[in-house]
Amino acid sequence: MKNPFKKKLALPSLSSDRTKTIASSLVSIGMGIVFGCLLLFLIACFDQFISDYQDIPVGQSFKGMLVIILGVFSSAIGGGISTAYLIGDMLFRATPLIMTGLSAALAYKTGLFNIGAPGQYLMGTVTSISVALTLGMNGVNGFISWIVAFLAAIIAGALWGCIPGLFKAFFNVNEVITSIMTNWIAANFVTWFFSTMKQFQNTLTVNKTGYTITTGTYGVATPKLFLNFDGSYANGGILIAILLAVGVYVLLNKTTFGFELKACGSNKNAAKYAGMSAKRNIVLSMALAGGLSAVGAALYYLQGDIEYSWTNAYMSLPQVGFNGIPVALLANCNPIGTIFAALFMAYLNISGSQLRILTFYDSEYISNIIIAVIVYLSAFSVFFKSVINGEHKLFSFAKSKDGENDGAKNFIKRFADKISSLKKNKNTVAADKQSDSAEKECVKEDNNG
Amino acid sequence: MNNDYIVEMLGITKEFPGIIANDNITLQLRRGEIHALLGENGAGKSTLMSVLFGLYKPEKGIIKKNGEQIEINDPNDATRYGIGMVHQHFKLVECFTVLENIILGMESTKFGFLKKKETRKRIVELSKKYGLDVDPDARIDEITVGMQQRTEILKMLYRNNEVLIFDEPTAVLTPQEIDELMHIMKNLAREGKSILFISHKLNEIMSVADRCSILRKGKYIGTVDIKDTTKEELSRMMVGREVKFEVEKKEAKPGECILKVEGLTVASKSHGNNAIKNISFEVRAGEIVCIAGIDGNGQSECVYALTGLEKATSGKVTLLSEDITHASVRKRSLCGMSHIPEDRHKYGLVLDFELQQNLVLQKYFEPRFQNHGFIKFDEVKKYADDLIEKFDVRSGQGAITKTRSMSGGNQQKAIIARELDKNPKLLVAVQPTRGLDVGAIEYIHKNLVEQRDKGNAVLLVSLELDEVMSVSDRILVMYEGEITGELDPKKTTPEELGLYMSGAKRNI
Repeated sequence: MKNPFKKKLALPSLSSDRTKTIASSLVSIGMGIVFGCLLLFLIACFDQFISDYQDIPVGQSFKGMLVIILGVFSSAIGGGISTAYLIGDMLFRATPLIMTGLSAALAYKTGLFNIGAPGQYLMGTVTSISVALTLGMNGVNGFISWIVAFLAAIIAGALWGCIPGLFKAFFNVNEVITSIMTNWIAANFVTWFFSTMKQFQNTLTVNKTGYTITTGTYGVATPKLFLNFDGSYANGGILIAILLAVGVYVLLNKTTFGFELKACGSNKNAAKYAGMSAKRNIVLSMALAGGLSAVGAALYYLQGDIEYSWTNAYMSLPQVGFNGIPVALLANCNPIGTIFAALFMAYLNISGSQLRILTFYDSEYISNIIIAVIVYLSAFSVFFKSVINGEHKLFSFAKSKDGENDGAKNFIKRFADKISSLKKNKNTVAADKQSDSAEKECVKEDNNG
Repeated sequence: MNNDYIVEMLGITKEFPGIIANDNITLQLRRGEIHALLGENGAGKSTLMSVLFGLYKPEKGIIKKNGEQIEINDPNDATRYGIGMVHQHFKLVECFTVLENIILGMESTKFGFLKKKETRKRIVELSKKYGLDVDPDARIDEITVGMQQRTEILKMLYRNNEVLIFDEPTAVLTPQEIDELMHIMKNLAREGKSILFISHKLNEIMSVADRCSILRKGKYIGTVDIKDTTKEELSRMMVGREVKFEVEKKEAKPGECILKVEGLTVASKSHGNNAIKNISFEVRAGEIVCIAGIDGNGQSECVYALTGLEKATSGKVTLLSEDITHASVRKRSLCGMSHIPEDRHKYGLVLDFELQQNLVLQKYFEPRFQNHGFIKFDEVKKYADDLIEKFDVRSGQGAITKTRSMSGGNQQKAIIARELDKNPKLLVAVQPTRGLDVGAIEYIHKNLVEQRDKGNAVLLVSLELDEVMSVSDRILVMYEGEITGELDPKKTTPEELGLYMSGAKRNI
């Protein structure tokens, strides 16, 4: 007789690990925000006592902190933009981030570092805009134009992603180098393309040069569906992104193809030994990653009201492409996780712009620094998890010998003990500090041996 | 009387998820003795030593040094109490010299500069005293594994450690280096150091140790005086049953030719010459052919070319009358070739996968396990559970155990389960018993012979003379990329085989 409860009993240990993962993510995000707030205070102090301008009163830093934390809800403390609109804005900004995040995560699972997302994103941009405008100008139905432009963007991104993949597979050239090159090739290509293709340039609006015509002009726009959010840019695109995230999750975890990709990424030699074609998987994985990045661009520019500024494209790569990497890493390369990581990044983005609007911190650089600090610390979740697990060396006192977390009193006592013993050891602290972790790893390996 | 013991571990219990690695174990080490710790793979030897070295905290039990209870929380504590360890995988900085590695973390300095002259003097003294001959200025990546190990030993001596732990020190050494190490260990004991020697090689324990404690499946079995015991008794205590050192097999009945290799040549990756030069041989159904030779004489390249991991420069490989010289790995596998690889971590397993995923590593695409590209997880689980039971693969959480967390012996069993379940016409087994204990070796040899008796062909590549002599039906000796001899194990001696392997003799 099989015990029906056996399976259920096995679950808590697994889910508790998951709880720990989520808890550590939340703790690290919290730490990031605390640190960001501290920085706001320091900036205000600097402004008051050192710089010449003195336009940020120290008291403003508290308002700034509130704005950062409240994010999309910050209009509650006085501000013109409605919460609904900000939420819609967050969803819209998160959409391309989800896609570039998925792109990085998928490649990473295959053991590839896709730093080529900006280039793939640019190829998606140029293809989706030009196809949508060309079809729109020729009177093709808006919905059909949208579909065709969307698919064309995927193909363009996939082909662009293929290039580093092919080099990696057949000539063993590191994909990071080729991706960086293809990024800049794409950037220059895009500028040249739009400056040559006069028909896509917006020459109608006075005082506006270097912008493309919005696709909405010819009726090519992503359906809003029910996502109105007080007239924000939010649209059905976010649903497509979420659907694709689920799709990537299924692909990686439920299919033979995903099995092969992960095997190649985890141990290339074993994959080869098992008869999988590493070359094929590298190329396909990069193509898929490229396609996903390009979808991000398509969902952004096919919104309908977005105009693309091409004049300076050759000088800077789109940030959203690079931001896919932190999104993927924040999500621990879990495709479902990228949805939340991207929303979090978009949330911070809104926090940043609200900070500029609502407080005296009106410099874009300051809000960017604050966001960067928060994101940076958010990536410490692995560290915090090891602390929670009591595995971290410095913080191992957080756990008693019998493996139970105990009261704060003991905790502090042991902290004191630890410090004093550390001091005592200072001279004898032997060898191999750096090899300690390696040792642990190695012992873990032959755990039962 | 308590002072008789320099280190005592009393009633140590350490649990891991799903497994009790150490169950109430007591180990008492006398001053100046060599104490062997014997047990199968996965018996809990390494865990116990990690507890002593402060890498793990036990749930229960105490540790005493010179009769006083001590607490060891991390390796630094262990060092303070004079306990040092030579790990199975050395902890050396490759681009540092021997001297730099020895003093690393204990540098004596003057005005921030290293006092190299004094430390060198001390190191030379130490190495003279204990007979540890090693050049202090040689770089670690330029010296042999044996020398690296000496560096590790010197490291412990430099720190004035009195208790030296050796974790399977002979696994990486050549026979000659092993003899030297045994000699060094005896020297150290004579000079008053106490040694804990972890091993599952009975010959070594019999030759060097004074006493031996035996663990089995995490439990303490007993401690015996080596002079009052025999190899057979030790192995019985370790495995829990009688172990046969001789491989039992009937006369081979070679049938049709399964694998035919003609004029195979493989280019070398490390030097300009060919690693394999124009070799020809065949393996027939119902026989075990063994390629013997000293490591690095082209055996690996030969196997890579046969299994498709590397391209052959010229020549022809035929499997069951089908030309597979240029076939893909997958094609070869489907044609009935199984391969137990030399390096189970590099090739054999995806360590971060679950055990069940590794078990279907070459089968996931079969209709049985997938439906329109979607993996049937129920089927995979069922299949894995079957194999785990059939081949007795032990792990903490069964089919969903992360392969990395399994013991080496059980990882190897998993590979063997996967490869043998394909019911291969040809089994290519490369050093299948490397690093395994007698129980596991017996098990693997039994399986190889079983394959043969089923009428399949087995090509065994081995560096161990005992294995070559006892398992094979026919021996091919490989020397510098050529097959230099074909011998009948029944009509030859290990000495003669040694002459062939060293290139002193050839008959082809």
